[in-house]
Amino acid sequence: MVPFIQVYGIYIILHGHLSPGGGFSGGAIFGASLVLIALSFNLEVGARQISHATASVLESGGALGFIITGLVAVALGGNYLANQAAGFPMGEAGELFSAGAIFIITAFLGIKVASTIVTLFYNIIEGDDKSGDAH
Amino acid sequence: MEDILFIIIAAIFAMRYLLRLQARGVFTILLVGLIGFFFSFTVAEMPPFGDPNNPVFNEIPARYMEAGVAETGAVNIVSSVIIDYRAFDTLGEATVLFVAIAAVIATLKSH
Repeated sequence: MVPFIQVYGIYIILHGHLSPGGGFSGGAIFGASLVLIALSFNLEVGARQISHATASVLESGGALGFIITGLVAVALGGNYLANQAAGFPMGEAGELFSAGAIFIITAFLGIKVASTIVTLFYNIIEGDDKSGDAH
Repeated sequence: MEDILFIIIAAIFAMRYLLRLQARGVFTILLVGLIGFFFSFTVAEMPPFGDPNNPVFNEIPARYMEAGVAETGAVNIVSSVIIDYRAFDTLGEATVLFVAIAAVIATLKSH
């Protein structure tokens, strides 16, 4: 079941500028698929899919990518987070690779939201374990 | 009409708690009732849903609808608004997520 959920999440992220959805909802679906692995097997199997370090790097990287995309627009001669004015390749409206910065930012947002959900889940579960051992 | 329904439901729930009265409980019920009254009052004063003469239908949504595809290249108008026209707001939203997860890690990792 997990691969289908992940494909659906990636589809929602990549088609954010074409159909209802986007970085937030697609990232939530992808993050939920990783949480489901940990729920249906156990925490070790889930943690093997994506480690803590990877999740942190992906999360910070997603936020940084968003900011850097905005700064690239400044470097290309537009305002911060400008899209067409900065000269991002627009493509043809309705195609998959179109809409310039929207496509890039949506992908970064999806990565960030997915890793946020995974990090949140693992931290809460492990925090629970530790306080249980301390007694 | 919905307001009256909400008030009736709230009153039913309030009655369950009135059975075990305490001074603090009475004060809480009065306070919540007061807040609920003002909220229902505000909702009753809001413009009707979907009316074309509402104040939100000004030149800004018209611009998004007419020029959105040409200006952003995105067929999905919602995406073109949140990631192009209002991208700075979305960056703030992503920052909220980031700060929230940082707070969770800082709280849970400390003990």
